[in-house]
Amino acid sequence: MQRLRVILRTMWSRGTGRYALVVLALWLLVALVSLFWTPRPLLATDGYHVWAVPSADHWLGTDGTGADVLSWLMAGSHTNLVIALLTVVCSGALGLLLVGLMVARSSALASVSVAVVDALISIPTVLIALLLAVPFGASAAVVVGACSIAYGLNLARVARPAALLAARSQYVESARADGASGLYVLVRHIVPNITPVLAVQLSMSAGTSVLAEAGLTYLGVGVGAGVPSWGHSLATSVKLINVFPLTVLWPGLIVTLVVVALNLFGDALRDAADPVANPALRAGVRGESADAMPDTLQAARPSLRSGIASADSPLVAHGTKEIVDER
Amino acid sequence: MSVEIEGLRVAVGATEIVHGVDLAVGDGERVGLIGSSGSGKSMIAKSLLGLLPHEATPSGRIAMGDAVVLGDDGYADERTLADLRGRYVGTVFQNPAAALNPVATVAKQIELPLRMHYDLGAGEREERVRAMLDKVGLPQDVLNKRPHELSGGQRQRVGIATALITSPRFIVADEPTTALDSITQRQIVDLLVSLVDDAGASMLFITHDFAVLSRATTRCYVLEAGRVVETGTTADLLTAPKAAPTRDLVSAARTLTLEAHHD
Repeated sequence: MQRLRVILRTMWSRGTGRYALVVLALWLLVALVSLFWTPRPLLATDGYHVWAVPSADHWLGTDGTGADVLSWLMAGSHTNLVIALLTVVCSGALGLLLVGLMVARSSALASVSVAVVDALISIPTVLIALLLAVPFGASAAVVVGACSIAYGLNLARVARPAALLAARSQYVESARADGASGLYVLVRHIVPNITPVLAVQLSMSAGTSVLAEAGLTYLGVGVGAGVPSWGHSLATSVKLINVFPLTVLWPGLIVTLVVVALNLFGDALRDAADPVANPALRAGVRGESADAMPDTLQAARPSLRSGIASADSPLVAHGTKEIVDER
Repeated sequence: MSVEIEGLRVAVGATEIVHGVDLAVGDGERVGLIGSSGSGKSMIAKSLLGLLPHEATPSGRIAMGDAVVLGDDGYADERTLADLRGRYVGTVFQNPAAALNPVATVAKQIELPLRMHYDLGAGEREERVRAMLDKVGLPQDVLNKRPHELSGGQRQRVGIATALITSPRFIVADEPTTALDSITQRQIVDLLVSLVDDAGASMLFITHDFAVLSRATTRCYVLEAGRVVETGTTADLLTAPKAAPTRDLVSAARTLTLEAHHD
């Protein structure tokens, strides 16, 4: 608990970390509020005021059916939050499982899993989503499934060098000489040593899941029709972008702000949660039994590429392109 | 605990590195294994607990106390080995900076063998770790530090504390002083010897340095290119080395000692 406070305080002390924390906290808050209250009921439409500009009645204007844009975006934040969280959990689980196999002491198992990961990683996320959409239809599950598979594979490949370094290290040898089992070594020695890579990769996969949701929903294989999501708001408004550009701006802006926040969050978390890089953490946690924490040595630098790619308003097209590029 | 190695051969791929080594450590005895780099010392140390790299294939016989570690059918099952590792046999490694997990606290590292082999509460484990810190001469406040905050000598003391926390009957010290400066070397050797003797355990001390060996052991084996070329009491080997590799090692130790005196 004390460690968490120190980590949060360190993140807060830096501009980028503060931005990330504020945006993510707002996202969480809005998603919670939207469960109980939105300015207008989602299905309340006003046929006399379609494509309305922002006013006192409709703060962010209305869409083509006269529905309140703000209400739909608020409700959408809830959907996107769930998708992002599920993506992080599922891709993390898949990635760790694959890392475990890839650094297995049996060299046959390790080389087979490396080959399989390298083969699967060449399949574009969009293709995985289209394949998943065949049995599941257009739903959030398709977005989560496709993102989890793609980012899980990506995570495994990115984390493998650091994991291998830990697995072949003398401290693992020494732990084995103390009687530790293979599973204990994986959980207690390898995972803590790849935590910096995990922090960065998982927050990036959360960010990319927001982009993927937008892109896939535009293609018609994302969340189902009538389900509020940022991708849904974009898809419905983008058709008339030349006539009513303002409606596209809001979801585009939100997606951009959130994706940048998620990417910066991973960066800030890695720097703040690292006892080697963050002296405040060492001083703060003394006397409390601290668990193993990440090391600076193998931290991979994240790129903000995926966050910045969608800054312009023809955003859905960009979002889709980004998913293809990502593979 | 007595340890017997008979006709140990270790091959990596098609190349044999250890060519039939016989070695015995009596109960409560401190025995040295000395040889230059690449002579196969570490391979022998790793083969003792079945920790050889995957591509290495050992053959021969290794027995520890009543347990047969390596027999005609290869290694004993993983359970038997895991039970020996850290419980009856403690290992001190060469490079304490690399042998400690960079992200785990000293407390976590030292208590690892206790966690693995004994069903103790957290409080009891901490009590034992604290007692062990006193024994190896470390201040209590290192408990929540991580390896990078310690000096080389302190790290090796952590390594020794980890190896000895379960009061093992046999210690394998694989070049425990090589990464340390000469003053720290002496302190670490003296500490290791006194702790091993107090516990009545036996020890196999591996090194390339006769100066260290003379303080740590009573009897030793000289290894050259995977074969034992000479054996005897450490004092005899130091004063009257017979085999050429032994003479080289002894003269290397003398030269270095003399140079140290000139400084």
